[in-house]
Amino acid sequence: MIDTSKYDIIIGLEIHIQSKTESKMFCSCPTHYFEKEPNTHVCPTCLGLPGALPVPNKRAIELCILLGLATNCDIDNEIHFDRKHYFYPDLPKGYQISQYKRPICSDGYIDIKDEDGKKYSIGIERIHQEEDVAKSTHHTENGREYTLIDYNKSGVPLIEIVSRPNIRSSYQAREYASKIRQIVRYLNISDADMEKGQMRCEPNISVQEKGKWQYKDGKILPIGDYILNPKVEVKNIGSISAVEKSIQYEVERIVRDIEEGKKIIQQTRGWNADKGITEFQRSKESADDYRYMPEPDIPIVEISEEDIERVSNELIELPNEKKERYMSTYSLSDYDSDVLTANKDISIYFEDLLNILSKDMDIIIAAKAASNWITGAVFSIANDKKIEINEQNIPKQSLAYLITEYEKKILTRNKAESILRESLENEKDLKQLITNAINENKSNTDNLESIVLDVINSNPKAVSDFKSGKQATIGYLVGQVMQKTKGTADPNKAKDILIKKLNG
Amino acid sequence: MDKNTLKHIAELSRISLTDEELDKFTPQMQTILDSAKELQKVDTKGINPMKKHTPFSLLRQDTPSECLTQEEVLKNAKYTEKGYVKIYGKIFGSIEES
Repeated sequence: MIDTSKYDIIIGLEIHIQSKTESKMFCSCPTHYFEKEPNTHVCPTCLGLPGALPVPNKRAIELCILLGLATNCDIDNEIHFDRKHYFYPDLPKGYQISQYKRPICSDGYIDIKDEDGKKYSIGIERIHQEEDVAKSTHHTENGREYTLIDYNKSGVPLIEIVSRPNIRSSYQAREYASKIRQIVRYLNISDADMEKGQMRCEPNISVQEKGKWQYKDGKILPIGDYILNPKVEVKNIGSISAVEKSIQYEVERIVRDIEEGKKIIQQTRGWNADKGITEFQRSKESADDYRYMPEPDIPIVEISEEDIERVSNELIELPNEKKERYMSTYSLSDYDSDVLTANKDISIYFEDLLNILSKDMDIIIAAKAASNWITGAVFSIANDKKIEINEQNIPKQSLAYLITEYEKKILTRNKAESILRESLENEKDLKQLITNAINENKSNTDNLESIVLDVINSNPKAVSDFKSGKQATIGYLVGQVMQKTKGTADPNKAKDILIKKLNG
Repeated sequence: MDKNTLKHIAELSRISLTDEELDKFTPQMQTILDSAKELQKVDTKGINPMKKHTPFSLLRQDTPSECLTQEEVLKNAKYTEKGYVKIYGKIFGSIEES
């Protein structure tokens, strides 16, 4: 481990999100390209053929505005598209339609929880709309390198979110990326599956000596004659945990280079998840030269207050707010609230279950019970069985029934959990299993009295010991009852009946 | 406009120019820039850029429609393989014309 304590870590994160629309950003080709035959979702526009005209997708822009609203951004009243030029085979027009000087959304923030549990705000500089490029894969044939290109992905709506450089640790970077993913999933803006490339994270990392720099107006500035170390951009990050790991690796690498007196150069590196290292890709000695210009083929789009109002109707309760509500209204713990709100579908399942339960019990007790069951047995069984927690797999009415019977102490926790497991493992009807167990229980309880009497009659010594004050003997008698019932009786109940009979 | 600037611009578009070509094109590029400079002399203070505005409601609805066939898409590609466009060359280095 390298000692990095002399240095401050400065991170900015660029995140790209593929929006979940039916058609592409500037043409009507379908977006669902995953595992489709190559070059079948392509038209003259996304192929960049001369004369083809781009027409912006209304829904894509609504989703971009929605994300801006959810991340406390200002929304511009006009949309301006620009051309970003670079020459690369995955970009057949020779430019990407993007936004330069006027992003749709700017100057926002989101709150994350820092390592010490405190709230930390990460600034969002801008969120703009652009288009994805084609997919290229690289190969070699008899020593000759070649590239295969599939244009199905070319033109899929892409939202770019640029954070301010006020991320100060790999932990914060991971939390930020994970919060962004949570928000876009909650709002159904994107599935944000990083493995499928629906979400991509590119951190910019630099390491500066403590006290030699300042963060002012969203920028990192040197103090005095200190010269800032250049930043490193990391690409090819395929998971949220790789965001954290790649930054950790990179910080140590840069600090080691500084300590060894090596020259730090501005460069792009690629994360190699198998080896757990970053690898040099290219140096960035000169500033990018994209020769931006206003996109002449798309008019300026006017956005009215009413348009923004309409989009804001889609703003549902976001994870942070939901969590606050769970803690204040239902008195759930910070941890449980976090777990229940991590995924929108789980939180909806929890709230539905709570609705059913609270008809029969106090809302606080119901919430605690629902939370315990979902985050405990349900999670663990679903995880073992690799199934989703949803109405089809675990009907809420049946789960509520199970929880109610447990709360009424009709079923023990062990019994209730084994019923749940049994139902999921053997695809048996949960409700039927619960009813069977209750009936069995009932007949056991009816039997229990006669079994208890049996035990009392056949153990005169233990009975007289108990009566003469040896309280501990009760444990032995309970054990006898359990043996006779082959462990099906509730030991507490057996003990209650025993004491009643012995004292009576 | 000097030779180095022109060389840089050409490289951005992955066009390689010989020394003779650079000598020939540099003054030509300068002529183009001079013409643009003429236009820039016009006082445009307080005049909005002449660009069409359109209301948000008139943008395209998100409905997918027919695409080209794979055969049509690949028609202009010099090389193809299994439905892909094929390009020879190292992607970050020189890319052969395709």
